[in-house]
Amino acid sequence: MTNTLAFTLDGTTVSAAPDETIWEVAKREGTRIPHLCHLDKPGYRPDGNCRACMVEVEGERVLAASCARKVSEGMVVKTAGERVEKSRAMVFELLAADMKARDEAADGTSSFWQWAESFGIDGRDQRLPGSDPLDADADTDAGHDTTNPAIAVNLDACIACNLCVRACREVQVNDVLGMGERGHHAIPVFDIHDPMGFSTCVTCGECVQACPTGALSEKTMMNADATKVVVEEFDASTDSVCPFCGVGCLTTVHTKDDKIVRVDGRDGPANENRLCVKGRFGFDYAMSPERLTKPLIRREDVPKDGAMDARFMKPSDIFREATWEEALSVAAKGLTDTRDNHDGGAIAGFGSAKGSNEEAYLFQKFIRQGFGTNNVDHCTRLCHASSVAALLEGVGSGAVSAPFTDAMKADCVIVIGARPATNHPVAATYFKQAVKGGMKLVVMDPRGQDLFRHAEHAVQFKPGTDVAMLNAMIHTIIEEGLTDEQYIQANASGYDALVEKVKDFAPEAMAQTCGVPAETLRAVARLYARSERSMIFWGMGISQHTHGTDNSRCLIALALITGHVGRPGTGLHPLRGQNNVQGASDAGLIPMFFPDYRSVESADIRSGMEDFWGRSLDPKKGLTVVETMDAIHAGDVKAMYIMGENPAMSDPDQHHARAALARLDHLVVQDIFLTETCWHADVVLPASAHAEKLGTYSNTNRQVQIGRPALPLPGNARLDWELIVELANRCGLNWTYSDVPDVYEEMRQVMASLDYMPWDRLERETVTYPVKGEGEEGQAVIFGDGFPTEDSRGRIVPADLRAPDEVPDEDYPMVLTTGRVLEHWHTGAMTRRADVLDNIEPEGFAAMNPREIDRLGLAAGDMVEVATRRGTIEALLRADREVADGMIFIPFCFNEAPANVLTNPMLDPYGKIPEFKFCAARVVSAAQREAAE
Amino acid sequence: MLDESTLEKRGGGQDRQSKQGRKRNAAKPKGRQLDDQALADVRALLADRPRRHNLLIEHLHLIQDEYRGLSAAHIRALAEEMRLSQVEIYEVASFYDHFDVVKEGGPVPPPLTIRVCDSVACMMAGAETVIAELEQGVDPTSIRIARAPCMGACDVAPAARVGDREVGHVTASNIRDMAANDETNVILPEYETLADHRARGGYAQLERLRAGKLTPDGIIDTLSDASLRGMGGAGFPTGKKWSFVRAYEGPRLMTINADEGEPGTFKDRYYMERTPHFMLEGALIAAHCVEAERIYLYMRDEYPAAIEIMRREIAALEEAGIAERGFIEMRRGAGAYICGEESAMIESIEGKRGLPRLRPPFIAEVGVFGRPTLNNNVETLHWVPQILEHGVEWFTGQGSQEHPGLRSYSVSGRVAKPGVVAAPAGSTVRELIELCGGMEEGHAFKAYLPGGASGGILPAAKGDVPLDFGGELAELNAFVGSHAIVVFSSADSMRDVALNLIDFFTHESCGQCTPCRGGTEKLGKLLRSGQRLDEEAIRDLEQVMRDASICGLGQAAPNPVNHLLTYFREDL
Repeated sequence: MTNTLAFTLDGTTVSAAPDETIWEVAKREGTRIPHLCHLDKPGYRPDGNCRACMVEVEGERVLAASCARKVSEGMVVKTAGERVEKSRAMVFELLAADMKARDEAADGTSSFWQWAESFGIDGRDQRLPGSDPLDADADTDAGHDTTNPAIAVNLDACIACNLCVRACREVQVNDVLGMGERGHHAIPVFDIHDPMGFSTCVTCGECVQACPTGALSEKTMMNADATKVVVEEFDASTDSVCPFCGVGCLTTVHTKDDKIVRVDGRDGPANENRLCVKGRFGFDYAMSPERLTKPLIRREDVPKDGAMDARFMKPSDIFREATWEEALSVAAKGLTDTRDNHDGGAIAGFGSAKGSNEEAYLFQKFIRQGFGTNNVDHCTRLCHASSVAALLEGVGSGAVSAPFTDAMKADCVIVIGARPATNHPVAATYFKQAVKGGMKLVVMDPRGQDLFRHAEHAVQFKPGTDVAMLNAMIHTIIEEGLTDEQYIQANASGYDALVEKVKDFAPEAMAQTCGVPAETLRAVARLYARSERSMIFWGMGISQHTHGTDNSRCLIALALITGHVGRPGTGLHPLRGQNNVQGASDAGLIPMFFPDYRSVESADIRSGMEDFWGRSLDPKKGLTVVETMDAIHAGDVKAMYIMGENPAMSDPDQHHARAALARLDHLVVQDIFLTETCWHADVVLPASAHAEKLGTYSNTNRQVQIGRPALPLPGNARLDWELIVELANRCGLNWTYSDVPDVYEEMRQVMASLDYMPWDRLERETVTYPVKGEGEEGQAVIFGDGFPTEDSRGRIVPADLRAPDEVPDEDYPMVLTTGRVLEHWHTGAMTRRADVLDNIEPEGFAAMNPREIDRLGLAAGDMVEVATRRGTIEALLRADREVADGMIFIPFCFNEAPANVLTNPMLDPYGKIPEFKFCAARVVSAAQREAAE
Repeated sequence: MLDESTLEKRGGGQDRQSKQGRKRNAAKPKGRQLDDQALADVRALLADRPRRHNLLIEHLHLIQDEYRGLSAAHIRALAEEMRLSQVEIYEVASFYDHFDVVKEGGPVPPPLTIRVCDSVACMMAGAETVIAELEQGVDPTSIRIARAPCMGACDVAPAARVGDREVGHVTASNIRDMAANDETNVILPEYETLADHRARGGYAQLERLRAGKLTPDGIIDTLSDASLRGMGGAGFPTGKKWSFVRAYEGPRLMTINADEGEPGTFKDRYYMERTPHFMLEGALIAAHCVEAERIYLYMRDEYPAAIEIMRREIAALEEAGIAERGFIEMRRGAGAYICGEESAMIESIEGKRGLPRLRPPFIAEVGVFGRPTLNNNVETLHWVPQILEHGVEWFTGQGSQEHPGLRSYSVSGRVAKPGVVAAPAGSTVRELIELCGGMEEGHAFKAYLPGGASGGILPAAKGDVPLDFGGELAELNAFVGSHAIVVFSSADSMRDVALNLIDFFTHESCGQCTPCRGGTEKLGKLLRSGQRLDEEAIRDLEQVMRDASICGLGQAAPNPVNHLLTYFREDL
């Protein structure tokens, strides 16, 4: 500590840093000072309003709030004594006077009542009169509000300390909660004093985690009418990691009677205790009665049919129950028969980005070693395949160059084709916080979004015109001399070709194409280039196009010509969608690479792997996800093993994909639910949910973290890694792993990226790879000293303007785009079986701008028919101003209105990713169509 | 007006019984949706005004003034337009008395609002009778009768405001007549305009300063020598304050506190409505001395005439080239006593709820928008050019050795001629009663407030205490504050007075800290609790409020109760 000062604390001289508070120093010195409105957690500013932490500062007329008061040289502080104690006791007495007695309170175990107890206060026999009851009007319902599906509000326990407001506004920056009214009427309110469940609240639950009294509580912890917390202790609390998006929030999972009753955020590097609605309230899918608990074999009297709709069927309508021995034997036999009767290339495997690194590694090893084919892929193909293609080509690595938390260090951040508030909610909190700290945010998206409100420039461009827009920015930067010449000289190649290419892309020439004024394009370009530190984040809006690789090339070019990469607060960050899409790709769950992105086509690398695995391996790249479906139709692929993946929902042109699955001679699906993919299976293996298993997961920031089991497996379900081993051994591989760490240590033998990251280190801490030496911190920011390319330079690849594959015409006049919603994840297999999440987003919908809805003579709430050249679905029409005129947005998670019936399977030539973000569509009301018929 | 969200709310009522809640309506995104008409309304009202967040209260006034309330749809639209969230607007709107949030389906306030002051001087003058009669006699669909805290018209109590028309000595019938005759617009008193003021030598001191004939250091010394102190109530030496602010690294800003709300106080209004340019010149001198880049003039919304005068005279100063356009930016409060507390006022200038800030840091270091800020009261600035013109002796000589200088006492209550009395610092209440023509006929002096609602209640036996900052008053746990003297007679019950004051504090507490939020309300309840007063509980509350409240409101709120228990036990 440089620059320390000395002061007197309860008669002892102590030293402290000048920015420390009395409370912090007292805590360090072992003095416990009561606190209610102060939460000693990252991101929470002390507010000093509850006055429970008062101390006496010599020479001052009144007492001081120790949580907020900074120490100063020579200050003399007394944290005890009659005056101080009296004041604190009175604060508790005042607060308790307005609450129910402890034994009737919303949460008698809350920190308020624990502190109150130390003053002998239990809320009985009070001298002070209570406040008048809240008006039982329609808005407040007398302070008892249960309209939110996850959270109960009991304002009779509220002490107006505004911690919930700081949670909502300063930590998560959702800006839904505030303190309304004044004086002793002051209360936390949602929006304009609306019932919580009718407000814009996104149910992240940060307020619940912060509340010191139980005025905001998880309903899962409460009695039937949600007035009182009844789960007073847990059987176990397990440190784990969130199963949902790529942010990688650390969690503590609390269980009671073998049920998860609460999930709290834990202080991980990617979340600092924060969670979103999925992570905090989406846990109950694991305990769903729909979980598969017994192995299933297809009934001989139920033929496969791609058009089958088993949404309302029971498993027994399609399958019969089997023993594990039978199911595993049948599963393995189908695979070995295919291998033996055709060849290994007739087999394909889809692993999952939801599984652990160890599962991904074992899965790809099984396919490659067991069948001599590289036909192994997973949903990364549908997410960032084009980004990874461009990144590998440009900077030699598919991973992010810096963590998303570096947004806090950036001066300018561009978020393009990504909706972090929906898909990476905790990452979004950092972006919003950074804006509060002065960072200038640019958000570019054809659909409006929550982040627009926080943006310096909110650029709503025409869909599919990314290259035009980005090239116009590059043009501006070059034309106006805003490039970093030195950086380009030292670190980039291909600059001259870029200069030549973008000559035709003046913002004035592109303005009409992308629907953005030229001056805006120039302003954004200048802001990005001129800022000391600029960073780019992108998502599926960039990648899911037939020109997805070109889109990413433009972003890479922007960073390379301005030198905004390789330093803290700069870089390129494709926000990874699933909890382990980074790790699964790293582990080789992709058809062109062995673990660590080593090419299957390199003889040297392959022979090394052949030595390591003791089998000869396929020298050609395997089939990607969508190619696999085509190969099934072509008769080239005859059997599949699918673990945790749901291509029947996630693949484009769903009729085509499901027909392919139904065509297979043999399909083994390993999953926790009877997914739409299972409908077409021969054998279904009931497997483990995230909360039941041990494994490592790599988040979007390259941070590797351990998930731990908190629940027992249901019924006869088994751990995924064990099932892969069982199948492998039945297919003739002699695998002898003892446990998950054993698998991880084998991975480390072929993955240099995991150097210096032994399992026991991960047990203790999150580690960011790469790590350069024993015991060293991981490298959060990479490319500071060049790129892992042959010449150590970043390669600029200019991109041309290409139209989307299918543009609107007379028959299909609108643009359909697909994506996710906050509450549902991927195909909804998990989240639609999570009560809270499904209550908030209960129904498949198609969203259009209210203006467009009016123009078409439709009404929000109508059932409409959306059709493309691939098919037709019915969905509820949602009026959403964020959707641009001429567009329809449909999330792909609802199996009653599956967007992927409609999507175009045309692929990006490099990344092999389909064009989910753009196809031509038309919409009519279901009633209109019926009338016409 | 029933819109979708009202209907949804009604439909949702049944679901609230169940713990799981209900499935959300998928036909729209979460929460209240933007309404195109409301957005058009808001855009038309805001026109080309900046959408800066600190102008929120100004923009809310535009909507409230035009539509008599803030509808949910307009709040949602304003949020869109200012890129704020709904709650960021609601929490501000619901903090201030002069905004009416109208939820979907809720009643819009009637066309005319009549506010009747129910603070202590007006209470004594019969405000309760006026209110009761009005509530009986008017049609609530066309007229709303609202109680209002002190309107700064204690000299003409009982006071009321009919629309924007300020009226004194009201009766229910004259108010009803005014309403019937549409006499509801603001009326400006005769006052000294810029031209008048310059004709008698106004702005000469500013010109001397700008010409270099006076220096900031010289002025600060002069003010210090004159013992000029902050007349907002704290009495901080003015010269010292200016030199403190100057010492912090710029850019610096200045605020003028014209949010005179202490019950019994009306001297700032007195000067603003008569000779506004002394204050304005003083402000420009102060801004020059501390090199403030802008002056924010924070006006209480209870003073529509003064607001209009300020608007005109600031424009005149700009026109005359004395102040740069926009250099003095007027901000209108919205009905919150606490915004007279300087840090709460600063929050309000920033467009937020008026919550006092924790100190340190003091506003001289971290004030408006985080900048070093000089804040002065109207009267303080009023004296500045006069001291510079007439000299230190002129000012100090009007007081005594121990109590130098001149003070503006607002005297009201049971005196024959209430009003603003410019008298020597340290005058006693007995002297002030004399200057006001003695007691009102038929009334015998019994007690007085030495410093508005906050300064305590002293008995006539303490009528010879010099009324100045600190000193003997402080020893009596009383203070002079803004020099608002309210005189009581044997006709007045000190229990009623104390209850009126504690009710005022309960209403005006910002609600931020526990001791004040809970303490004010509980003191009122305990005092009303019947025969057996729990004096120990009252004393305990008094202690925690004094020791642990964030700002002066909570710290001083128990003063009248303390004195009630100390000096007026017969009134309990």
